[in-house]
Amino acid sequence: MKRSDRTTAGKRSFRLMRRAETKPLYEVICRIVSVLLALLVAGVVIKLIGMSPILMLQKALKSTLGSSYGFEQALVLATPLILCGLSVAVGLRMNIWNIGAEGQLFMGAWAATWVGLFVPGPTALILPLMFIAGALAGALWILIPALARAFLNVNEIITTLLLNFVAILFVNYFAIGPWRDSGVGILLATKRVPAELPTFGNSYVHYGILIAAAIALVLAFAIQRTKWGYEIRIIGRNRRAGRFAGMPVNRNILLVMLISGAIAGVAGMSELAGNVHRLSGTISNQYGYQGIIVAALSSGSPLVVLPVGFLLAILLNAGIVLQAQGISVNTMLAINGVILLFAAVGWVASQYRLVVTRDQPGDEMEEGGEGISMDEEGEGGSGRE
Amino acid sequence: MEQILSGILEQAIAAGAAILLAAMGELMAERTGVLNLGVEGIMAMGAVSAIIAETFIPNPYFALLIAILIGLAMGVIYATTVVSCKANQTLSGLGMLFLGTGLARWIGAGYSGMPARAPFATIRIPILADIPLVGEALFNHTILVYIAYLVLPPLVTFMIYRTRHGMNMRAVGENPAAADACGVSVNRIRFMYTCVGSAFAAVGGCYLTMSFTPAWSDFTVVGQGWIAIALVIFASWRPWRVVGGALLFGGVTSLAFVAQVLAWKVPSEFLNMLPYLATLALMIIPLLKMLRSQRKLTTAPAALGLPYERS
Repeated sequence: MKRSDRTTAGKRSFRLMRRAETKPLYEVICRIVSVLLALLVAGVVIKLIGMSPILMLQKALKSTLGSSYGFEQALVLATPLILCGLSVAVGLRMNIWNIGAEGQLFMGAWAATWVGLFVPGPTALILPLMFIAGALAGALWILIPALARAFLNVNEIITTLLLNFVAILFVNYFAIGPWRDSGVGILLATKRVPAELPTFGNSYVHYGILIAAAIALVLAFAIQRTKWGYEIRIIGRNRRAGRFAGMPVNRNILLVMLISGAIAGVAGMSELAGNVHRLSGTISNQYGYQGIIVAALSSGSPLVVLPVGFLLAILLNAGIVLQAQGISVNTMLAINGVILLFAAVGWVASQYRLVVTRDQPGDEMEEGGEGISMDEEGEGGSGRE
Repeated sequence: MEQILSGILEQAIAAGAAILLAAMGELMAERTGVLNLGVEGIMAMGAVSAIIAETFIPNPYFALLIAILIGLAMGVIYATTVVSCKANQTLSGLGMLFLGTGLARWIGAGYSGMPARAPFATIRIPILADIPLVGEALFNHTILVYIAYLVLPPLVTFMIYRTRHGMNMRAVGENPAAADACGVSVNRIRFMYTCVGSAFAAVGGCYLTMSFTPAWSDFTVVGQGWIAIALVIFASWRPWRVVGGALLFGGVTSLAFVAQVLAWKVPSEFLNMLPYLATLALMIIPLLKMLRSQRKLTTAPAALGLPYERS
């Protein structure tokens, strides 16, 4: 109905008006639409290079949700995605961008490997030690960018990102050098770490997903229900206001960044102890970077990170399953990039509404930006009303 | 020893050129108020499109042309998002990063490790290259290196500081409302320089695959784009300082080369960390000094990262 209105009102007789307040529902609709649009774009591209997107979609769905193995695989992939998503999300609450989750994940895995390989003891003792070591390593890895951000106002995006490259080189050195397993058939990885996270029954799904869920719950509680969380939210919305209200802004920036790093470090530990068991330069499917998308699509809300992380895990799994068809993890990264672009535009779009000043007065429809965003909001709008 | 010094200089210049090209483009875009965090991804796209173009027509200039076109196309995507649609620049920039890196690695998978068939030839400048000690290191490079160091910086400096157009550019970056009131089309200038900056990044990528490495792999573009962004900040948005910074980074990168020649017992992984660590240090240390002297030296364009809207 709305669509036909718009096509008849095609004489540019509408005006964009900024909303006084953006309703969360519109934001959610925009996020969903942006994911769908990105997939549509990817489908068109795949079609253009002569492959069948429909067949691929079928195969991807069948291999992910159609079998118990695929479902388990998606849960295994969701664990680091959720943890990295939480890591970035907690920063986003304060307008801090931790782009270094990838590096912190690597360092967390490195520290966990160190404990697992060189500290003797029963598994029940070693696993918590690995957890602590992973969290500490992740936090330490972000310490310098965090200090620089809190006290010198150095752009944390660049500093955290640069350390990713350093972390991967560091892990590579140990995996190929001193810790390398010289056993037959082992390619450039360390010895198997004996302490392993338990799995659910006979499945591949390990307890890392529980760690992720627990951290999400704790964060959600801390942000929504404590005084500290209140400070974080205020400072995130308006740093100056926080400062004038006497909140310790710098200390909170430092703290939030350290927590963010620690969570990403835990992601590394959980991957190592639950999934890969051997440290190497290829333990991460760019989880740290995908975590940014998870967090951005969840608007930094810890509980929303859980389903969004699972959704992106299905996407990632599709990329891995479809490798024979010429799709790869990198394809998924590109699609994620398109999702982010659409989401960024959609976020602007959700702040506007379209006032149609023709035929029917009082007929309102959400609209925003130009080109692409119009279609997006057209769909979003019709779905809403 | 002479040879080593000459080698360091040559490596420093060659390694710095890619960063310099990308940073110069980013500098122009940032002067108009648009921060492009996707430089790394656009470089990767430039690099891969050059090497693919070259398999069709083995001519480096054709590859360069294609890289520039791809860079412009990426720039149009980004500019549409952040200038026309006024989307959040951090989010969209990261989107461009993922799009560029992912797409480049995806379409470049079949070309990985293949050396460029027709890379840029080195041009030896006759008399100057005969200068003892430094001549060979300074004046025996490919055309893109000369353009990056000798043509671009004076050109960009002149344009930004000495022309009306450059003044408009800076006005748009510093105070878009005032520029708008003076009749300068804020969004047109921003759109244009976002595309120009993106094209420069792609040329930087093309330089990597067609001159510096010269081959494509997933690890051809590893952080150069980010170092370029950091460099623009370090250089306080001034073209000539970017040149100095690029040489410095090139020098740090060339340490790996020195270690190889002198057979140092340092693992290559640690040497390869140096450019990133040096960038980190350069972002932090100048500010530490400032902290002590209580001077304020943030010269970032005032409207950097802020979309402009008439109110």
